Amino acid sequence: MSDRSQALPTPEGEYFESNRFAGLSVLVGLTAFVALTLSIAGAMIDPHQFSFSWLFAFAFFFTLCAGCLFWTIVHHATDAEWSVVVRRQLENIASLAAVLALFFVPILVLRHHLYEWMNIPPGHDPAFDAKRPYLNWHFFLARTIFYFGFFILASFFLRRLSIRQDKDGNPRCTLLMRKVAFIALPLFALSLSFGAFDWLMGLNYRWFSTMWGVYIFAGAAGSSMSLLVLVITALRSAGYLKEVVTLEHYHIMGKWMFAFCVFWAYIAFGQYMLIWYANMPEETQYFLTRNTESWWNLSMLLVIGRFFGPFAILLLRSIKKQPHRLCYVAGWIVFMQMLDMYLVVLPSLHGTGIHLSVWDFVSVIAMGATLGFVYLQIVGRTSLFPVRDPRLIESLRLTN
Amino acid sequence: MRTPAGHKVYAMAAEYPSAAALYEAAKQVRDAGFKRWDVYSPFPIHGMDDAMGLKKSWLSAVVLIGGISGLLTAAIMEFGPSSFLYPLTVHGKPTNFFTVPAFFPIMFELTVLFAAFASFFAWQLMNGLPRWHHPIFNWERFSRATNDGFFLVIEARDPRFTENETRDLLEKSGGQHITIVHDE
Repeated sequence: MSDRSQALPTPEGEYFESNRFAGLSVLVGLTAFVALTLSIAGAMIDPHQFSFSWLFAFAFFFTLCAGCLFWTIVHHATDAEWSVVVRRQLENIASLAAVLALFFVPILVLRHHLYEWMNIPPGHDPAFDAKRPYLNWHFFLARTIFYFGFFILASFFLRRLSIRQDKDGNPRCTLLMRKVAFIALPLFALSLSFGAFDWLMGLNYRWFSTMWGVYIFAGAAGSSMSLLVLVITALRSAGYLKEVVTLEHYHIMGKWMFAFCVFWAYIAFGQYMLIWYANMPEETQYFLTRNTESWWNLSMLLVIGRFFGPFAILLLRSIKKQPHRLCYVAGWIVFMQMLDMYLVVLPSLHGTGIHLSVWDFVSVIAMGATLGFVYLQIVGRTSLFPVRDPRLIESLRLTN
Repeated sequence: MRTPAGHKVYAMAAEYPSAAALYEAAKQVRDAGFKRWDVYSPFPIHGMDDAMGLKKSWLSAVVLIGGISGLLTAAIMEFGPSSFLYPLTVHGKPTNFFTVPAFFPIMFELTVLFAAFASFFAWQLMNGLPRWHHPIFNWERFSRATNDGFFLVIEARDPRFTENETRDLLEKSGGQHITIVHDE
């Protein structure tokens, strides 16, 4: 119920005209091509630095995509109605997991540069030998295949069923997607947590934190909601979804950004404080590296920029109802997620302080441009919102 | 205002068959310019704030003040003794500002606690609670407000309230069982 008289959208839905943005697509594609070529050069010239830069870029884009899959799964599992109109973009971004699986191949190739534990002969380090049943190359590879198998299949099925419903409007698809979501929810938690353990915590096999999976998840969920705000606003400023996504939807997306800003801080601080208080060397080494030398500045920027700043700004209701201002905050949060991943990965290489490398930038541009290019290819293939979802009208008339 | 029998009038009330009907009626009453009136339903109705013409509540400002005073209380009660009055080195931790991680949980908890208290008590105050009785309970049908009844009540102290015009408005907006509710 609402004061706004809602004209119902046409049953054909709204389509992104790929022709109109062919120029942009070519530009992004060219950038991707050049940057990927440079990346191959980087892997040849300086494989040690490049492998860390590449893992950093991978972690950043992977968390964004995984977060979008999370929101899709939660949408179906909770039978939500507000997110119907923005769901197709979540599905589109989540299905980029297939591209990210390709981007993981260089990490597998350069694994000996990244993961110190892969080079330790048996009997050399008793602390590592105790972890060998879990940390060994074959099991690592099998797990990685499992994680990507899950992310690719879950995002594929959820998108496929959603598109099928666009054609026939069969409510069975909704029930089916809910079932997929129920299975996917625990698998998502396991895959993201253990993926974070294997790929990021494994950079230093001596260190461990039980909060690590939740920490990576908290950043992923908040930043992907911010990315969604950016994508939706970009589509709206191109003239799409004008009648479909209202300020009420922005309000809810802003509230989720706020909620996960707080959740991230809660988890990050919980992890930090327990380690700081107990003061045990095998645990503190992670924060010692990141809180000394020039890394200290970036750590402080992360604390202030990822939590205190957005917290104070998003506390205001008015900011959540102004798309363009919300976009500044959303862009900032996505940037902070990048900084977060930078602080996770790069200090294990440059323990003595910040050392920016050209390959950091090349990796981010290569992956970002490739993912952007693929996104531009798939966004026009379906309606920009699930046009025959049974809950569409409720979502259109959302008030909160 | 009093009835011919001499009872003091509290309000004129009407019942509506559905949430949607109540929502539409609220818009008409809002547009008629009434200020002292309210709607009652067994569940929250989305968009009713706008339909009733309600402005943003000042509760959030009170909660913010409560939260900030909680944060300051915690900061003073922790840093005061531990850094200034009786600095004590525990676990080799500093006694200056850099011991703040140990203090954050208390700061967080007092912020939440004071904000919760502020919201609870300010909310009571704004709603005129606590009170023993309310004149609207003099109307028997009203007991269904917690079950399946949708009610709109215009108070007699509203400057625009006149018996005939208010009754007309409620009738026109689809109200049923329109009645005068006595004050005592």
